[in-house]
Amino acid sequence: MVKPARVLVADDDPVSARFVASLLEERGYEVVVAGDGEHAVDAARKLRPDLIVCDVVMPYRDGFDVLRSVRAEPSLSSVPIVIVSMKDREEDIVRGLEAGADDYVVKPFNARELLTRVRKLLNRNGRAT
Amino acid sequence: MYAVLAYSVLAIGGVFLVLTGLIVANKAWRESRDAWRRTRRRTLEPAILSWAHGDAPSVRPSIGGALKRRDRLVVEGILLDHAQRVRGVERERLGRALDDLGYVDRWIRGLSSWRWWQRAESAEKLGIAGAFRAIDRLVRSLADDVPEVRIRAAKALGAVGGRAAVAPLVQALREPNRWSTIRIADILAGMRHDVVRELMDEYPKMNRDARLAALDILAKIRSLEPVAWLEERLSDPDRDVRARACHALGAIGSPDSGPALVRALEDPEWPVRAVAAKGIGRIRHAAAVQPLCAALRDREWWVRANAAESLRLIGPKGIEALDRMLDDRDVYARHQAVLMLQESGELDRQVELLGRPDGPEREAAEFLVRRFVRIGQVGRLRELQETHRDAKVREALAALLGIAAAPGGGAP
Repeated sequence: MVKPARVLVADDDPVSARFVASLLEERGYEVVVAGDGEHAVDAARKLRPDLIVCDVVMPYRDGFDVLRSVRAEPSLSSVPIVIVSMKDREEDIVRGLEAGADDYVVKPFNARELLTRVRKLLNRNGRAT
Repeated sequence: MYAVLAYSVLAIGGVFLVLTGLIVANKAWRESRDAWRRTRRRTLEPAILSWAHGDAPSVRPSIGGALKRRDRLVVEGILLDHAQRVRGVERERLGRALDDLGYVDRWIRGLSSWRWWQRAESAEKLGIAGAFRAIDRLVRSLADDVPEVRIRAAKALGAVGGRAAVAPLVQALREPNRWSTIRIADILAGMRHDVVRELMDEYPKMNRDARLAALDILAKIRSLEPVAWLEERLSDPDRDVRARACHALGAIGSPDSGPALVRALEDPEWPVRAVAAKGIGRIRHAAAVQPLCAALRDREWWVRANAAESLRLIGPKGIEALDRMLDDRDVYARHQAVLMLQESGELDRQVELLGRPDGPEREAAEFLVRRFVRIGQVGRLRELQETHRDAKVREALAALLGIAAAPGGGAP
């Protein structure tokens, strides 16, 4: 039996985090939720997720900081990261992608679109559901 | 006497005791109710979300059949919280669930409440639910006596979207309250291309404030559709209308509006000329170099400043024109050219070339510096002469400025 892909959802908004988690669990992914940037980096180091869905505005460490920390870890540098944020200005999106995010989704997001992006990134890295 | 006093103290103490007991009981009841709701939410939320992600037609089986009275607020909270955070199919399904479970009917009734905050809250929730069938009722709320209700109704119509919501919102721009007009304009701008045609059609019926707001909305939406219509507004008798139309044309950035903006540089009112000059830069209209040079001699500072900035934005042709303007007879035009050549970094780039061996590039750089010196604009040059990292550049600048270079130094 194939082990389900593990996704780390980092978001300080519990409602949003629960929505994304339920969306991914419904499709068979194993989901871990972190409520702030510090926990997100710890969880990424310990759990080695196959993909990270990360908010930008979070306590302790923001999403860009999480991105940098994850990318700096050799064992995590190739983990796909999707930024999901309310910040919809062009410069925010460019900043996120330049900081090393593989994709950027603006909140409020289209759930099926997010799911497709997650699936594509996991497939690219050789991980299906 | 002592007995009366004692009874009074006991009576007051008793009242305080009863009040304290009531407060504690009330707090305990509220906390236990909130704890129960949190527990209930933990039970119901996964089921409702699972339904939202799936294809099942009704949400009722997910909440155990008919909506129980005690679950009403919990389910409402779950559906509204998530409906605000998503778009697309999931949002539609959450909105449909709110309708199916009777919330939409309740909020539509709430729009007639005698309490204004209940009307405002109902309008807001109808917007989050995306309740199309509440559009007519929300439109009526745009005429509510309380401004907050009108604004929430407008916001709700903006969230519901669609042509049916656009027309009344555009009409609501005629609001007598200026602040409300601004907020409604923001809502309309957020509805993007859906509102463009309606704004142009309704424009003749609008009052002045609404017209100005409509032009600002078109500038924010940046659709190409109203370009020709905006150009017609450049002959409006109201100078603010002409200025806002110039701003909108610049913001939209269609290259076709260049000639119209150049004509607006001749407008008798300086605010129009200033915005036209800025708009030309935003669309990078290279054919406007000559008229912009003429605008550098305008008697109003804003026009001159915007014209200089636009020449910079146009690129090499504009920079060449600024260079030529250093020899202009008009002192204000020369001053603007100096400022912009400095601000754009062109002067610093040329000064850099003074460190090179003799050749055409160095000659051109020296020529530029000499002209700066001749017109007395030497502030930046002196600064570079003192701080430039290249000793050759410092020496060349000292010679051109006619000052003695500090031996071997002056720079980091």
